[in-house]
Amino acid sequence: MPVAIGNYIALSAVMFFLGVAGVILRRNPLVTLMSIELMFNAANLLFMAFARAWLANAGQVFAFLVITVAAAEAAIGLAIVVTTFRDEKNVDVDEIRLMRG
Amino acid sequence: MNAVHHVMGADGSYPLLVALWLLPLAGAIACWAFGPQLKTAAGWLASAVVGASFVLVALSWGAGTQHAGGALGAHQALFSWIPGFDLGLLLDPLSLLWALIITGVGFLIHFYSMGYMDGDRAYARFFAYMNFFVFAMLTLVLSDNFVGLLVGWGLVGLASYFLIGFWFERPIAAAAARKAFVLNVVGDVAIMFAIFAIVATVHSTAFGDAFSATGAYGPGLLFVICVALFIGAAAKSAQIPLHTWLPDAMEGPTPVSALIHAATMVTAGVYLIARCAPLWNASHDAQLLAGTIGGLTAVAGAILGCAQWDIKRILAYSTMSQIGYMIMGVGVGAYEGGVAHFFTHAFFKAQLFLASGLIIHALADEQDIRRMGGLRTKMPFAFWAILTGVLSICGIPGFSGFFSKDRVIYGALQHGHPWLYAAGIVTAGLTAYYMFRLLFVTSLGEYRGDAASDSAHHPHAPAWIMGVPVGVLIVPTVAIGGVLMFGGDDSPWARYFAPQFGAQSLPAPAISEGLTSIVVLLFVIAGFAIAWWRYATKAAQADAVARLARESARMPALLTNLFYFDAVLDLLFVRSAQLFGTLSARVFDPHIIDGAVRELAFVTRTAGVFVQSLETGLVRAYALILALGAAGFIVYYALVAGGLH
Amino acid sequence: MIAFWVLGTIVIVSAVWTITAKKPVYSVVALLANFAALAVLYVTLSAEFLAVMQIIVYSGAILVLFVFVIALLSSGVAPFSAGPNRMPKAAIPAVVVVLAALGFLVYATAGVTAVAPGSVHTTSTVGPVGTAGIFGSVADFGKALFTVQLLPFEVTALILMVAVIGVVLLAGDRAPYVPSRRRAAEVERSMREAIVRGGE
Repeated sequence: MPVAIGNYIALSAVMFFLGVAGVILRRNPLVTLMSIELMFNAANLLFMAFARAWLANAGQVFAFLVITVAAAEAAIGLAIVVTTFRDEKNVDVDEIRLMRG
Repeated sequence: MNAVHHVMGADGSYPLLVALWLLPLAGAIACWAFGPQLKTAAGWLASAVVGASFVLVALSWGAGTQHAGGALGAHQALFSWIPGFDLGLLLDPLSLLWALIITGVGFLIHFYSMGYMDGDRAYARFFAYMNFFVFAMLTLVLSDNFVGLLVGWGLVGLASYFLIGFWFERPIAAAAARKAFVLNVVGDVAIMFAIFAIVATVHSTAFGDAFSATGAYGPGLLFVICVALFIGAAAKSAQIPLHTWLPDAMEGPTPVSALIHAATMVTAGVYLIARCAPLWNASHDAQLLAGTIGGLTAVAGAILGCAQWDIKRILAYSTMSQIGYMIMGVGVGAYEGGVAHFFTHAFFKAQLFLASGLIIHALADEQDIRRMGGLRTKMPFAFWAILTGVLSICGIPGFSGFFSKDRVIYGALQHGHPWLYAAGIVTAGLTAYYMFRLLFVTSLGEYRGDAASDSAHHPHAPAWIMGVPVGVLIVPTVAIGGVLMFGGDDSPWARYFAPQFGAQSLPAPAISEGLTSIVVLLFVIAGFAIAWWRYATKAAQADAVARLARESARMPALLTNLFYFDAVLDLLFVRSAQLFGTLSARVFDPHIIDGAVRELAFVTRTAGVFVQSLETGLVRAYALILALGAAGFIVYYALVAGGLH
Repeated sequence: MIAFWVLGTIVIVSAVWTITAKKPVYSVVALLANFAALAVLYVTLSAEFLAVMQIIVYSGAILVLFVFVIALLSSGVAPFSAGPNRMPKAAIPAVVVVLAALGFLVYATAGVTAVAPGSVHTTSTVGPVGTAGIFGSVADFGKALFTVQLLPFEVTALILMVAVIGVVLLAGDRAPYVPSRRRAAEVERSMREAIVRGGE
């Protein structure tokens, strides 16, 4: 039984904004990275849905690319977290404010 | 010299014109560069250069008066300024006449200056300036276009500035030079605007193009052009209300006064109007304006001349008055008469100045006529020279001034300006009064000064150097009018200018020319009689000192303050400019200019503080701003782009 | 249809749990559930290969990486997120705006039915149209990946290589730049002094 594409969009939107909320509200860098993964996956879900709707596997290829990027991002992000907070007592993104004006 | 075939136009060629034009410049540069080496030879060099230039002008007589190829005179193209704007030299009867006076009278005055300026520390510099002036004046009158004319116009102003302020160590001379320059620049700017209007209309600055299409301007623009040109003429020719620099300009050496402020430069306005005759002919309003200003200047200058005690200032106001005549003449359309008065005036006024220079020189720079007297016996040559000049300027029948002045006065009536006619007649009477006053006070009675009349205490050049030019000038002062201008419209003078200005058929006025001459003569005799009664009777000569002192004391404030022209100009322009400057300094600059800068700095700083508050350094805040941007897009598509459906 | 609602609910609940969990380990577990549910959703969307990729790469590699890092950082006694919350109060209206936009987006898109997954699309002719029967199969996807879409595939290789180099540089023994908090404080102090000097 087909599902309306709008439902996928809505689901994706909710998921994406939950990721946004995680980035904005949480101060744990690991949760921040996970929220970013949530956003990646929200985007991927849309790619899948539209690829299926239009029967165009270019969308799937792009999702593949996104997964790769997400993996790379996670690797680098975790490397930064590790190097930054290796010597620290606690872990808080608010403590890193090098760009404050 | 190829004097037979000359055609006017772009391909016209008369190289001699370039030579006679540039010779004085070469002399000026030589005197300037090698002054210390030349010493007194500078005077001889400068005089020789101007003399050579005069000879070349005289040789060009045939070329200047020829009527070949439908065009008048000789033409020499110089170079193209901008494509379509060619500069060149033009020698036609009008510029030929001026060139003759500039170089001829100029030569005599150069010669005279060798004696007058003898012993001056800056002898060579003086002659460099004088040569430079002659060059500038030739540029003015020989140009075949308005741009060249304006260049010459500005250069003569510059030369005048140099020469008035020649003794720049005197603050009063420096101030006079500055005043003359500033007032002249007012005229320069006005002429520039006239040129703008002409170029905008006919797309050319050449006289030929500008005058052949007087219909193209339209009456309004034509009047504006004429007014702008007239402002330039008034500034240069000391017409009301721009005349105040001329009396002050007498701070320069006397030969300068003779050459620049009597014979040549101050008549440039007359030249300008005569040159632009087609424009004036096409605009009756402009004629009325120029004629009226000229007539007013003639009267005002004469009245002020009656109240002066400085011999050179009397002559200066006399010059102003006589130029008023000329402007009135050319202004109303009696070009040939106005130019005639320029011609004779150049001789008799130069002579008057040079003769008074003899006196001033002999009395160790004394210029106050109250401290002169008795010079008829002490300096008979100067007395006779001044006497002939006075007779000529007063228009005693037979003398040169008589012919030219009557032509101007009668021309005003012929062209339908009875009030200007009356003003001319009254001025003639006033002229007789103040000129004979000058003559009587300086020459009759006993010597009232304290200078040794022979001034043996400083070295003198041979007196003949100064005497010869004065003697030479006596001849045209007395006779040239009779030779050239006798015979009215059939005179050689009228025939010379007939191709230049064209024949004008005017209705015969109710008063004949002969009757006019008689009326003028009556006024002159009246002026003479009053002067005689006040200064020349036995009783007047006996207690001259007391009488002159009393007259000085009783002089009306209106006259001693020169009709308050300086005060009014000061109030109108200087004070208002100062007020504007003060206003700018106190209000505009600190509050508007600085205020704007301060406001800009304040706004920048405030914006910086605001933007700085955005730069929290919090990664989460940046993410929020990004999300806000995304939300902004959603809101945009929802509200503005018509929803998502 | 029912699968979508069930899976969607799992996705949302697990996502909420991910961002609200007190301990990061719980977040990882929630995220695992989220990704698993997504993988099943992908299968319903005929994306078999990517469903497998989702499980292997995300659940198998990335989330394990997260767990390793958590273990590494919390080996001591230090708590997470001990500092004060520095988010300015001005952010609250911005959050409200973002949430409002989200709400609108969900409201506006939930009813869109123009294109229904599982059936041949009706309104758009954009993009290559495959055969419904084999669409999304591993063979179909693989053929596309190595023929038409070869360039993106190569780009993924490049991205991964860059990521590897970056990680080695950042976390290696001779890391050139270590943004530690102490270092950050030093840099910040010197910058403040420079600003104060420049402002006078």
